[in-house]
Amino acid sequence: MKKIYFLLFMFLPLAANATNDATQLEGSFRVGPAIILIFILTLFVLVGILFRAKDTTDYYAAGRGISRVGSGMAIASNWMSAASYLGMAALMYGTGYHGLAYVVGWTGGYVLLLILMAGQIRRYGKYTAADFIGDRYYSQTLRTITAGIAIVISIAYAVGQFGGIGLMFRWVLGIDYISAVIIGGSVVLAYTLISGMLGVTKNMQIQYVIIIISFLIPLFILTARFDYFWLLPQIGYGSVVQDIVEGISIADKPGLYNSLGHHFAIVPSPEYAMPWDPSTRQTFFQWMAIAFSLMIGTAGLPHVIQRFYVVPKAVDARWSVVWGLFFICVLYWSAPVYAAFGKILSSNPEVGKLAPDAIVVYTAQLGAVNPLIVGLLAAGAVSAAFSTTSGLLVAGASAFAHDLYVKVINPEAKPKTQMIIARLSTILMAIIIAAIAMANLALIAQLVAIAFSMAGCTIFPMFLLGIWWSGSNRAGAKAGLIAGGIVTLVSLTYLIGARAGWVLPYNDFISYYLGAWYFAWIGAPLAILVHIIVSKLTEETPIEIRKFLIEKVHS
Amino acid sequence: MASFNILTKLKTLAVETDYRISFFKPTTQQAKMNRNLIIKLFIAWAVAIFGFQILLKIIEKPVPEEALVRFIPAWHRIEAGLGTDNDLQDIGRSMVQVTGKLTLEPGEYAILKDGISWTLSELLPEHELADLQESVIRLNRLREEIVSLQDPEYLAAKESVISTAAPALDIGEGTLLAQLLAIGLVENMAVMEDQSRERIPEIMSLYLTHNRSVLTDTIFLGFPFHYFYSAVFLLVFFIGLCWIYCHRTDKLHARLNFLEAHD
Repeated sequence: MKKIYFLLFMFLPLAANATNDATQLEGSFRVGPAIILIFILTLFVLVGILFRAKDTTDYYAAGRGISRVGSGMAIASNWMSAASYLGMAALMYGTGYHGLAYVVGWTGGYVLLLILMAGQIRRYGKYTAADFIGDRYYSQTLRTITAGIAIVISIAYAVGQFGGIGLMFRWVLGIDYISAVIIGGSVVLAYTLISGMLGVTKNMQIQYVIIIISFLIPLFILTARFDYFWLLPQIGYGSVVQDIVEGISIADKPGLYNSLGHHFAIVPSPEYAMPWDPSTRQTFFQWMAIAFSLMIGTAGLPHVIQRFYVVPKAVDARWSVVWGLFFICVLYWSAPVYAAFGKILSSNPEVGKLAPDAIVVYTAQLGAVNPLIVGLLAAGAVSAAFSTTSGLLVAGASAFAHDLYVKVINPEAKPKTQMIIARLSTILMAIIIAAIAMANLALIAQLVAIAFSMAGCTIFPMFLLGIWWSGSNRAGAKAGLIAGGIVTLVSLTYLIGARAGWVLPYNDFISYYLGAWYFAWIGAPLAILVHIIVSKLTEETPIEIRKFLIEKVHS
Repeated sequence: MASFNILTKLKTLAVETDYRISFFKPTTQQAKMNRNLIIKLFIAWAVAIFGFQILLKIIEKPVPEEALVRFIPAWHRIEAGLGTDNDLQDIGRSMVQVTGKLTLEPGEYAILKDGISWTLSELLPEHELADLQESVIRLNRLREEIVSLQDPEYLAAKESVISTAAPALDIGEGTLLAQLLAIGLVENMAVMEDQSRERIPEIMSLYLTHNRSVLTDTIFLGFPFHYFYSAVFLLVFFIGLCWIYCHRTDKLHARLNFLEAHD
């Protein structure tokens, strides 16, 4: 630990000197943020080495030795990605109240997860989603398909993270987006290969602390500088929102400017706060569909569910959700503050169109926050993306090496071969993710929302019915999966078609009602319905499974 | 009480015989109480999220901003050839206000710049219009060249545009609207494209009409109430629901002496 403090004190003065003359929003190499970034990533690797997991079992069971609060922090760190750190503020900046559907969806889902699944999943006693599905539905085919889905979901989720990493590396290094994705992707891949199995849970707790501190500090500065209630920015920004609605004249806030010299002023902009405002081109239906899809997606994401396998007891699984949700909400209460200040500080058309996904960093810059602190903020964003991406790559590689290669392709594989397969699949996944991220298909949060809808249509119904209804059987699960899968494929085909310029049949209707960020609103209920009907019509679940459910999961 | 216990034991026996479970048909007292708790929390959760948004939708009304209230009649009079200078000033100021909206699409911004410039060309005498056009050309040229928006020459050029254009639209020179006006003009001011003329009323209605109700207009802790509800309160509520579930489940397990399988 002393070594870490030494490194901290050695780097900080250097970084402070290096960043004093940063004046532009982007386009130049920033020495200070680069040093902070390297320092934080090095810190994670060092912590990983200090708290190294001895073997695979230790890795999986690492969480069993930590407290409920510590486990909650690990849940929060695992959860808080570039979509939370950068993406939510981006959505609220661009679409105002509509963006709150993401805030509500990504937090409300934890209530479902807790009351419907957390304890039961822990009591079932499996380590991966594919293991659970394979056992519960006594099907090697479903195990294989679920492993495949877990990999696809990990890739979809990680595309948004690579987008965030690319944006931050572009900001730090002053290079174009494509090069930034390649460099940032290479760094995250190297980081995962080095630290993927190192002290994961301890690292997650430290990552949470760094992510949340770097996110909160600029908020206190912004609220204090622009004369709002700064002791609790998460409440103080209410007046900022109201000021945006009513407008701020130059006379209202004399002497306050953004870093480009524009007055802290804005024309009345009720569209920012009013629900489903026509000018945002977002509707009431979309608000509801997004919130619903994200909530059930939360309860179906493999890497989220996986956190409950590694807590000591079912009661700890439940309480760790409460703490995890609290730690997540600290960030989610704060993200809208950046969007609100960003709205005012960039309201002058001379500022130009800013990349919404980087608005958190731009807001701090425009608010004339010390460049060193802005650098810390950017480093926090990269940390959030790194921690999630690393977890996703490890989860995806495990699904391939453990659930597909060993269980299906080569059951006789030696541990060394398994490790090589895991590493090769990590590299392959990183290449695929980077290639998709370069296409810049949508905002970070929207890309991540695709993963949630996929999980909501495929994994969520199988978990929900598998836990709560002994009548749910293999044939029902397969039929439900096919129904959810078809909805997913249709939605994604129309998304890709729209980006490629294809005109598909019923384009407007399907693109609207099966939007890629929220198709689970219909896909999940349909999958559940089909699952129930087919289960009722086919052979009953074997008695061993029913007995296990009664004796182990519900008793 | 005795008959209740016997019934419970009978039900448990039935479960042990066929091992069938369902969320909606609990067979033990613990399962029944757990189901009831989940249903109560689920209803509270659903009503709090979706019920509130549905209420918001039901009671909302499209309300125009003051700028649109002034714009529409003035625009109609001008289109009918009956417009006065006051009408031109009204539509000009309203359009300048919309150029300050961040959600404005680049194409729509260009159309509004076209409209504002045309309005000024109608209001200003020829020699002043010529001076203004020269100032706008100079300002646009400088914008391409400057490194900092605080460049003194650039600021002076902006002031030059404002000093002519702002009084014509009855806009105070030291105001935000004057700042927006300075950068919201095109060089060819006297001509408004037909497409711009057609689209301006539609753009103005889109950006100046908002869904409002008592829930959006009530202020709570500085927030519009509905915004506070969704951005702050709901998150607290979710944590509260989770805490209640864990607390009640712990109490229930203690009361029924229920030991979980891995405890």
